[in-house]
Amino acid sequence: MSSIGTGYDLSVTTFSPDGRVFQVEYATKAVDNSGTVVGIKCKDGIVLGVEKLVTSKMMLEGSNRRIHSVHWHSGLAVAGLAADGRQIVSRAKSEAASYEKVYGEPISVKELADRVASYVHLCTLYWWLRPFGCGVILGGYDRDGPQLYMIEPSGVSYKYFGAALGKGRQAAKTEIEKLKLSELTCREGIVEVAKIIYGVHDEAKDKAFELELSWICDESNRQHQKVPADLLEQAKVAAQAALEEMDAD
Amino acid sequence: MSRGTGAGYDRHITIFSPEGRLYQVEYAFKAVKSAGVTSIGVRGKDSVCVVTQKKVPDKLLDHTSVTHLFPITKYIGLLATGLTADARSLVYQARNEAAEFRFKWGYEMPVDVLAKWIADKAQVYTQHAYMRPLGVVAMVLGYDEEKNAQLFKCDPAGHFFGHKATSAGLKEQEAINFLEKKMKDDPQFSYEETVQIAISALQSVLQEDFKATEIEVGVVRKDDRVFRALTTEEIDQHLTAISERD
Repeated sequence: MSSIGTGYDLSVTTFSPDGRVFQVEYATKAVDNSGTVVGIKCKDGIVLGVEKLVTSKMMLEGSNRRIHSVHWHSGLAVAGLAADGRQIVSRAKSEAASYEKVYGEPISVKELADRVASYVHLCTLYWWLRPFGCGVILGGYDRDGPQLYMIEPSGVSYKYFGAALGKGRQAAKTEIEKLKLSELTCREGIVEVAKIIYGVHDEAKDKAFELELSWICDESNRQHQKVPADLLEQAKVAAQAALEEMDAD
Repeated sequence: MSRGTGAGYDRHITIFSPEGRLYQVEYAFKAVKSAGVTSIGVRGKDSVCVVTQKKVPDKLLDHTSVTHLFPITKYIGLLATGLTADARSLVYQARNEAAEFRFKWGYEMPVDVLAKWIADKAQVYTQHAYMRPLGVVAMVLGYDEEKNAQLFKCDPAGHFFGHKATSAGLKEQEAINFLEKKMKDDPQFSYEETVQIAISALQSVLQEDFKATEIEVGVVRKDDRVFRALTTEEIDQHLTAISERD
């Protein structure tokens, strides 16, 4: 069914005759056009990876980051409008801080995901707001171990073993399903994520991209950190090698 | 695509059409159906049971995070049918209200009071411009000290009714037809019967035999007033009992 020109798609507070909220669906499309974002839960932690499309050759490497830390033990990767994503990150940070102030311990990943999701959902309810044009993958470590959540513009959050957003999400999901996530370590995981990001990157449509990787595991003291430069480099080399091998076949 | 005179009475906030209908509210009901699941609620002599479908489309999704059953207090359960994100926001508010009730009055919030509160919230969304109605039908269940087993259904229009048995979602009407037959002579079901009637109602309208992992069952009993979801093993036992009975 076409939604354009019917008038049912002009506000988040308008339901279409079959009960859809088109503004939320359009917001989802903004996410689908973005560079691919991948998160996986390995046996000892979480790895987040982003295909950051570079819009200008003069842009400094490492700017416009799409992976952000929320607090010590959790990080957030953004697909879609980066500016909207930062709004979510800042809300997530203040939720985490206020939780810790009230309860005296770090916020659990589930609680953080729920709070961020209800904030995202809030923007789908009032006519003076628009939904967020971004989806986020939230990784964290708490007393229940490493956990991964994905929050979409509609405000739903679910727990995942592996999640993907953006242009290459379908292909990325197929690749993640092939991994043995319960046996994979984070060290192996970063290589796999790099391979997936390089694999789904469409050279013809988008020329340059920068790989962003972060992890939360024992090696990073259960803290959310950028993957160290040497490991990132190794992962890139391995991913490129895998790609060339695939092209050779 | 637009209904009625096509003059756009259904394209904005909730306003009346010339025929006196509130289209946006009707569309919110459609949103409940568009989620594609059907839910059942049945009240027995000294127990209440709700059943709904659980669909996990994605292999990478952790199925423990997919649920439509929410405890509001220890003793009140809520089964949400419709848009999941809307449901979570409703649950959050309901929990807050129930906690404040407990704090203010010193006793647990009665089921009917919570159901009325949810319905009153929904009514406001049908009249005010600022917000859209939530695409959720909430079944609220609990055990009342004076009124025994309680089952309420609250919808986006702001109705709330107590029920012996009811249904919500895609195959609501078919399920109600089935339940009306079963509940005809006020059968005073035991706990086992209640659960099994609810599950078989769902089986009958969907015309399929599902696995224990494909449904969710929430119960409250007189002996154990705590609202809880049945484990897969318990659901399996009921499913076996149903298939042996047939």
